[in-house]
Amino acid sequence: MDGGLAHPRARDAGPPHPQEAELTAGTRIEPGRSYGFLTDTTLCIGCKACEVACKEWNNLPAEAGGLTGHSYDNTGQLGAHTWRHVTFKEHGPRQGEMPPFQSNWLMMSDVCKHCDPAPCLEACPTGAIFRTEFDTVVVQQDICNGCGYCVPACPFGVVELSKEDGKAHKCTLCYDRLKGGLEPACAKACPTDSIQFGVVEDLVERAEARVASLQKAGQDKAYVYGAPGTPGATGGIRRLNAFFVLAERPEHYNLPPAPSRPARNARPAFLSGLATMAGLAAAALLLGVGRR
Amino acid sequence: MSVERPALPPAVQAEWRGETYHGRPVTKASSFDWKVSFYIAAVGMAGACQVIAAVARTRPGGEGLARRARFLALAGSTVGPLVLVQHLKTRSRWYNMLRIFRPTSPMSLGSWLLTAFGGLTGLTAIGEVLGRRWPFARRVADAAQVPAAVTGAGMGVYTAGLLASTSTPLWAAAPASLAAQFGSASVAGAASALALLQRAAGEAGSARRLEALALVAGAAEVLAAHGTERRLAERGLDAPLQAGTPGALNMIGGKAIGFALPVAAHGLGRAVGGRAGALLPEIACFAMILGGAAMRHAVLRAGNDSACRPEHTFRATQQAHLPATRETRR
Repeated sequence: MDGGLAHPRARDAGPPHPQEAELTAGTRIEPGRSYGFLTDTTLCIGCKACEVACKEWNNLPAEAGGLTGHSYDNTGQLGAHTWRHVTFKEHGPRQGEMPPFQSNWLMMSDVCKHCDPAPCLEACPTGAIFRTEFDTVVVQQDICNGCGYCVPACPFGVVELSKEDGKAHKCTLCYDRLKGGLEPACAKACPTDSIQFGVVEDLVERAEARVASLQKAGQDKAYVYGAPGTPGATGGIRRLNAFFVLAERPEHYNLPPAPSRPARNARPAFLSGLATMAGLAAAALLLGVGRR
Repeated sequence: MSVERPALPPAVQAEWRGETYHGRPVTKASSFDWKVSFYIAAVGMAGACQVIAAVARTRPGGEGLARRARFLALAGSTVGPLVLVQHLKTRSRWYNMLRIFRPTSPMSLGSWLLTAFGGLTGLTAIGEVLGRRWPFARRVADAAQVPAAVTGAGMGVYTAGLLASTSTPLWAAAPASLAAQFGSASVAGAASALALLQRAAGEAGSARRLEALALVAGAAEVLAAHGTERRLAERGLDAPLQAGTPGALNMIGGKAIGFALPVAAHGLGRAVGGRAGALLPEIACFAMILGGAAMRHAVLRAGNDSACRPEHTFRATQQAHLPATRETRR
């Protein structure tokens, strides 16, 4: 009766298949765990390798921009075709000695935060935006109908509709690479490990340790933005799966200081709206609407 | 109920002093344009028509008004969505709106609400067409009337909840009063449109009662708008609704044409009376419909404007404005 069945040895799972992410990011990528980015801005040198790696891997077209005059930031913003964006802010006079952390410039590689819960996902009426088995947030291009509701829903201005194909686009946290056991392109390309990829819980621990060591080294402004219980994870947003170590107020990095989940506004609007309609229906009855 | 206020380190400046990132926008503006405001006004009016039809059905002699209200509701719930679909960037996939039910998304709720409302309105209209020959059709129509009015009330206001459930500072600032504003504008528009039809059909008494309802709704709209604008001013978010085209639409369109002109025209019509004032009620009704639509378009445009102003996003997202929350999920 064994004819046609695979040899028992072939069905054994055996030792886990080696993954590249174990070598490059020190973590295995398995469905059911939460993955994200820790972007440590105190390590960013503004090389934009992440922007390039992202465009290369995801085959995203260049956006003709020209010079903005905003320090070295000629990318401008995240958008349909730009899923990593390095922000530059020149900060105070040049210091005579060099402390062991980024100090004169504020540089941050911005990215989709893969919020939990995600306002874009909560707004999406088609189910095109979904949460993957890696706890990341992805737009399914074969379902999106370009209604555009995710765009104003995002508290960080990440999602954008593409003029070319009429669908919403944003960072996928390299969903295809994660499926293949590879760390996301931007994190792999980052030469200073300002962008670190891993399991969110591990990254939070790493971020807290980094903030402690920065404080010890004299950077007393360092803090975590987006981990549970920190600025950025507020107003019903439990955490950002892509979170940051910052060293100035969030506004300097174009991040809202205390974002909240926009869907919280639906209930008061519906209740007050329906009460208004009921009141006006009562007024119609009192006014005798319907009598000749 | 508690308010989470995660602290910044003591070394970081505690108060925001207006810093932005090179003045660049934080959030992105929606792609919503005049097609969306047309839809908001059209289905709002259609929904309120069904509320009025349900009220009219309770009165003897209200059949004519109920019939016209049902047909107007059918027209609004047909044309509105057809225009709205044109706003989708991938129009051929409009039916994906009914692919899932997402309770957190007012747009998903609205899609299903519209589907239910359209179906019920179709039943009430079929009852009017076939009711004379088949009494059964009329009974179906009457059974559908109350659910049509309930979903219709939802159609009048859900669009405000949809705009409020975004990160656009101006839309999100005052969800309750914005919905009251949209709802009363829907009733004012529907009552005005029906008053026009009733006058054309020779039911002048019925038209006058509808005009009174329109004025009550218009007054409620002005009150609610005052609430919205006061909240916006408190938070320093009022500029987009005062300057430029949205400001003109709001003040001249929404307030002057939408309320002051109809009040004046009705007053003058009553005072002058007779042939001299014959057209004044009609002018008042048209003005009210236009004004309601202008108010919605002003709010839509001003919201898109506010989303592009980083200082507005930052003002709206300071910790002091965090709502009290009951969550956390999981």
